[in-house]
Amino acid sequence: MRRKRAKDKASSPEIETVVVLRLYISGNAPNSVRAIANLEAICQQYLKDGYKLEIVDVFEQPLRALADGVLVTPSLAKVSPAPAANVIGNLSDKRKVLLMLGVEGNAG
Amino acid sequence: MNPSFRTPKRGPSRAHATAGFEELIRRLVKGASELQAIESGQVDAIIDPATGRAILLPEAQEALREDQARDRSLVRLSSDWRWEKDKDYRFVSCEGATIGSSGFENKTIIGKRLWDLPFDNMSKVDWRAHRSKLKRRAAYRDLELRSRDHAGGVRYFSVSGEPIFDGQGQFKGYRGTARDISNFKLAEAAWQESTGIASATLDALAAQICVLDSAGTVILAARAWRAFAPAKGCIGIGVPEGVNYLAVCDNAGEGERDNGIAIAAGIRQVIAGERELFRYEYGCDWPIGRCWFTLSATGLPGDRAARVVISHEKTTRRKRAEQLPGLDYPVAKRAPIYPVPKRVPIANGVLAAMPRKEYQRLVAGLEPVSLTFGDVLYEPGDSIRYIYFPSDCLVSLLTQVEDRMALEVGLVGSEGMVGIPLALGISTSSVRALVQGTGAAMRMEAERFQLEFRQSPSLQQELYRYTHLLMAQFTQTAACNRFHVVEARLARWLSMTRDRVRSDRFHLTHEFLADMLGVQRVGVTNAASALRKRKLIEYSRGNITILDRKGLNAASCGCYRIIKNLFDGAQR
Repeated sequence: MRRKRAKDKASSPEIETVVVLRLYISGNAPNSVRAIANLEAICQQYLKDGYKLEIVDVFEQPLRALADGVLVTPSLAKVSPAPAANVIGNLSDKRKVLLMLGVEGNAG
Repeated sequence: MNPSFRTPKRGPSRAHATAGFEELIRRLVKGASELQAIESGQVDAIIDPATGRAILLPEAQEALREDQARDRSLVRLSSDWRWEKDKDYRFVSCEGATIGSSGFENKTIIGKRLWDLPFDNMSKVDWRAHRSKLKRRAAYRDLELRSRDHAGGVRYFSVSGEPIFDGQGQFKGYRGTARDISNFKLAEAAWQESTGIASATLDALAAQICVLDSAGTVILAARAWRAFAPAKGCIGIGVPEGVNYLAVCDNAGEGERDNGIAIAAGIRQVIAGERELFRYEYGCDWPIGRCWFTLSATGLPGDRAARVVISHEKTTRRKRAEQLPGLDYPVAKRAPIYPVPKRVPIANGVLAAMPRKEYQRLVAGLEPVSLTFGDVLYEPGDSIRYIYFPSDCLVSLLTQVEDRMALEVGLVGSEGMVGIPLALGISTSSVRALVQGTGAAMRMEAERFQLEFRQSPSLQQELYRYTHLLMAQFTQTAACNRFHVVEARLARWLSMTRDRVRSDRFHLTHEFLADMLGVQRVGVTNAASALRKRKLIEYSRGNITILDRKGLNAASCGCYRIIKNLFDGAQR
């Protein structure tokens, strides 16, 4: 019972605002480094603390990318909230990222 | 984190590689957005769906290669060697500047562990600690090792390393750098030595010395400073290292506040570089009287931590001397010679009576000499070459009768001068001057003395006074020798000698005493035995000891008291 209640809570609107992101990169390759920097800047500006970011290095975890259906790096995937979406490249196109995050409207 | 850089199995030619990649991309990448990103150069790697392996695109490969090259060159700049060890800690590679004689070379270390190499500063315990660190896969920084190079010189190395793991997290070994830090260590040793010398020098000084940093905190204190017990009025002297001296001055208590504020302000000026030296003299009232101190703050140039050297000296004596310039003269003049005044700076009474200026001029012509028992300064009829101011020696003036008979007519000690005829304008001596008590004297050449004598009224006055006393002594002695018994004369003579050498023990033979008193030796022996029987003196083999000074004075003839009164009175 308890667990169920907890689950109910988890689906409350407050918690839903946390965006979970996963960024696939390949080591210190230039586009990967740039993608991390770009993404962190965007998140800091628009999401404040309301996000979780996991960075996956395909050299260190070669099977993760394959399992997640990622074909190239760098590649950003939005895990939650639904719908899942992804952006490919070094994330220098801020508009694309914001569109995916669904914050374009209020960002101005 | 280290990128496990995997090179695709491709030829080295860039054009060939690019062509090969285009085909690969066509085969693997189907999505439009992926292709677009690849075309715009925003992709680093493609994942091979068959194996899951990431394949770097040529641009990314090139960039990583440049990165690695840059890392390597940075490592080269910051270290002398880069090395790698396998999982058993054996060196598998070591590259870098080969210093032929360093002893740290590829061929000598490959396949060996660090503790197999001939480093001589690590004990078994040290190596054990190091190995346990490796077992924990911990990184180590700046492990200092010492060895001898081929030329026999001492070399120091600093070795740092961190563990490396493969993709599965398996420990593969260590990787790191090494630097030759011999020059640094030698410089450090030299610096430590010079610092040691500096602090030992500071410790050796009597003044209280400390060094302050720019905030006024004591960063180095010499021994005398540390040992200085906090005393009333001495603002903050002796505060320990680590304490802010300026704060102590700022918060000085009642009665010290003005001095504290002035000292703090002066030191701050020195720290700020507005002045090089600040000197402050202040006095405070102690139970023993007013005491004076001088505090000096000297700025240190440069940007080092040490900014000011503080030196604190007690200057009471100098200050008093400055304040009372004329005091020396009346003090010395009024002080009676017997008993010995406690503070006669000059051993000879005539010299001590000189005003300071005339004394300083006289001293320039004086030389210290040591006179030994039996020395003859003048024979009757000799021309006088030197005059003598005895300090603690004793000179007898003897008149010779016929050839062998002699009689003492006068005795000169620290109260007088030998060579009085010169003061009277006569350059030959009428008596024999015989050193009777070994000791020191100041002498002056006769010509110089005559010059000084003419120029100095004080010296003239003093020597005329002394000449009068000496004549009185001569006449009294003449009468005494004629009328008084040997025993009383011997007692008088011993008492007079005692007064002049200021000692109860002296060395004299009976023969010598016979000459002094102008009697036969047997007469001296009888008189001495009588005095000994009365327990006034003790003698053996020429060593005479006065046992009872008052009793001996009483046993003397009245001449002793007359002469003594004359001398004492003349001094007043």
